[in-house]
Amino acid sequence: MSIEVKNLIKTFEDKRVIDNISFKVENGETLAVVGFSGSGKSTILKLICGLLEPDSGEINASEGDIAMVFQYSALFDSLNVADNIAFALRERKDLRNKYTEKEIKNIIQEKLELVGLKGIEQKFPSELSGGMQKRVSFARAIVTEPNSILYDEPTSGLDPISSTLIEDYIVRLKEETNAASIVVTHQMSTITRTADRVIMLYNGKIVFEGTPQEMLAQNTPYTKQFVTASLEGPMQMITE
Amino acid sequence: MGSLQKYYRQSATYKIFSGMFQELATFLDTLGKISENGYHVFKYILKREINSKELIYQCDRFGISSLPITLSIVGMTSIIVASQVALEMVKQGGGNFVGLLMTILIVRELGAIMSGFAIISMIGSSIASEIATMRVTEQIDAIKVLKVDPIQYLFVPRILSGMIMMPLIVIVASVIGVLTGAVTAKLSSGLGYRAYFDSMWLGLYMKDLGVSILKSICFGGTIALVSCSFGYHAKGGAKGVGEATTKAVVWSFVSIVIIDMLFAIAFFF
Ligand SMILES: Nc1ncnc2c1ncn2[C@@H]1O[C@H](COP(=O)(O)OP(=O)(O)O)[C@@H](O)[C@H]1O
Ligand SMILES: [Mg+2]
Repeated sequence: MSIEVKNLIKTFEDKRVIDNISFKVENGETLAVVGFSGSGKSTILKLICGLLEPDSGEINASEGDIAMVFQYSALFDSLNVADNIAFALRERKDLRNKYTEKEIKNIIQEKLELVGLKGIEQKFPSELSGGMQKRVSFARAIVTEPNSILYDEPTSGLDPISSTLIEDYIVRLKEETNAASIVVTHQMSTITRTADRVIMLYNGKIVFEGTPQEMLAQNTPYTKQFVTASLEGPMQMITE
Repeated sequence: MGSLQKYYRQSATYKIFSGMFQELATFLDTLGKISENGYHVFKYILKREINSKELIYQCDRFGISSLPITLSIVGMTSIIVASQVALEMVKQGGGNFVGLLMTILIVRELGAIMSGFAIISMIGSSIASEIATMRVTEQIDAIKVLKVDPIQYLFVPRILSGMIMMPLIVIVASVIGVLTGAVTAKLSSGLGYRAYFDSMWLGLYMKDLGVSILKSICFGGTIALVSCSFGYHAKGGAKGVGEATTKAVVWSFVSIVIIDMLFAIAFFF
């Protein structure tokens, strides 16, 4: 139950978005990935869960499923909440005949309760608030009991209270499943509340690696610029 | 050399040719993707790995919801054609052949192609925009991460429903077309129903019916496959969805006309 990435390289057209990145996340550990918009954070997650192929490098995740919570939830808008959560149980080849409908119903209940929701099984995603959609997408992602969970900006665009709620669920899921988790985020609160370690990306490379406390101490020019949200510093937003 | 090359690159000749090559490359790329998707779809169909619940839902969507407009279009086409045919033929003393000619026209050609056009504009465009939206909102990525094959989950039921429902639609539409033709002939040039239907039987061959059904199956499958494919390969946001839908409609139109032509060459030359 760990995720290990070695010398990962990914290029889009002629732009090297991920430039020789290595890191490891142990089971029961949460790694925060921070960096500017466009610094390749989503790309790393997509490489790990197999949506993209790396140009070179290795990705080793221990056996079992990798779950991904998408930035904009990506719930199936033609299915109601219950069918969204049960999707993998009903459609996946190796799970299709594993559970009876009654068992599936219980699993849906259980996963919904885990993310603090009740009685919304028949609602459609468009009828839910952004925070609730996020939580339903958590429930959908963990229905297969994954060993690794990837979160793409789970708290972006949410109000502070909803953010705290989501952060609590990230911690809780980790404790319940002992999964290796990677949280992509811009938000300081999400880093301090959920992460054991932080890596910061710039120009496709890791420019800082340490604990949230080390990051907040602002001992390097990179962490100083990021934590103070300053325009001055080694990281420049280049507009082409 | 450098400046000459630069000059050449600005020339109209270069732009036209490079534009043409790019178009050709895009065309071949698209054709390749559609064929590849189609190959995987038929593999699933042959292996009978079909989601029956989705299939029933898609059949309902493909066939039932579009029926009123499809039937109206075929019916009105028949009025347009019959009013010309009946008038002239009765004038020239060929009134006995109006039913025959209308039946041949509708069963062999008009029923299928006009239904096809109606289905493209209603169902093809809706399939393309639906799947394109799923692509740009990462729903297709979500399907993949949950280890379900989007081709199996999204393509197979839609394409199979097209192949099942299209012949049924075309049969009903053709019946409506032939009947509308009879009424039109009667009203426009006073041709009796008796004369129309007696000659109708002369124009109704089993072979024509068989070919028409086979053609409809190809139309339905092609419309669904092309629409699914353009939706699936959509890029970008709302603009990408719009572009995918437009391309799906245009390519579907062109495809079924080409298929129709190939059938005409193969069976009636
Ligand atoms: N499929 C793709 N094709 C081409 N370029 C891409 C693709 N996906 C991402 N990129 C580019 O890679 C860079 C990193 O993107 P992303 O990983 O989404 O950044 P982040 O999540 O950190 O905001 C961006 O400049 C983006 O334009
Ligand atoms: Mg991102």
